[in-house]
Amino acid sequence: MPAEELELIQHSLNGDLEAWGEIVGRYKEAVFAVTLSILRNYADAEDATQDAFIRAFENLRQYDLSRKFSTWLLTVAANVAKNALRKRRREREPPLPEMDGDPSEEVQADLRLQAVRRAVGELPEPYRAPVVLYYWHELPLEEIGQILGLPVGTVKTRLFRARALIRAKLLEQGVIHNAVG
Amino acid sequence: MRWDEVDELVRAALSKEVEEGAKRLADLPERVIRELARRPARPTLWEKAHAFFARPVPRWALAGALAALLLGFTLGRLTAPTPIPHWNPNLFVIAAPGARSVAVVGDFSAWQPLPLSDPDGDGIWMASIPLPPGRYEYAFLVDGKWVGQDPLAEEYLRTFGEYVSVRYIGGGRADRSS
Repeated sequence: MPAEELELIQHSLNGDLEAWGEIVGRYKEAVFAVTLSILRNYADAEDATQDAFIRAFENLRQYDLSRKFSTWLLTVAANVAKNALRKRRREREPPLPEMDGDPSEEVQADLRLQAVRRAVGELPEPYRAPVVLYYWHELPLEEIGQILGLPVGTVKTRLFRARALIRAKLLEQGVIHNAVG
Repeated sequence: MRWDEVDELVRAALSKEVEEGAKRLADLPERVIRELARRPARPTLWEKAHAFFARPVPRWALAGALAALLLGFTLGRLTAPTPIPHWNPNLFVIAAPGARSVAVVGDFSAWQPLPLSDPDGDGIWMASIPLPPGRYEYAFLVDGKWVGQDPLAEEYLRTFGEYVSVRYIGGGRADRSS
């Protein structure tokens, strides 16, 4: 861990909120990517991201300084998002709206990317977080397993299946044509 | 399409998605700081313990505690516990309720087990071993498990990674201090 970051964490442990604000600024996108992968809704992911940073600050004493900070933080974020998802399911909210995005903008944008985003969004929930942690965070499988509390073998199989599902969906929609792997 | 091309597409799509959503997070550090500052500080363990003991005790709890004390006293009298023996440097005593066998091992027995007994079954095991004046190292074996720290010992040693108790008989350390 960089010395500067360790210093920020130590200040945060002493209750320095400004130092924690600096940590939030550094990791907000990484945490947001995890909560979004699980919740598939910008507003919910935003709330979960804020909750994750608050929960992490309140439980900072449980963080082992000898371990990688981001792994611990993303584990907290994944747990917060999973709890929010469970709560949402319990409350039987209506199906989530489509992801944000102006249709006229979508027309202008790269249709291929939009289709891939939809395909990722339609993956079964257990597959989405491993996909984001692998492709967006570019984490090794062992670390993904630690964050999601899964054996490495399970992470691997979920990634394989997710990729196959995405490709099948893109083929079905005619976004890609050549099925030669 | 090759797999690595699918990988690239997924990577690009996720980047775009997070980038768009992250616009909402511009003021997140300030929001988190505000929220944390608004929350009451979480009490420390010490504060929790203090609050627990400072809490007024209801009358029924006091009555219950008194009843339990009386019951314990009565039962104690009825079961006639092993009388606490006067300090005898030759007496080896250990509380081991539920144990099947208790022994003492020491340099006085060449570390061979000498059995303790509990004739009234109250969990207090003892044996009187007449020893000449000197310094003795010993430990108990409770169901075969090493118990090296006798509360009645005068000092402890650590040998081979295990604790050993030490007592002095006749003109030893305790006698010198008195």
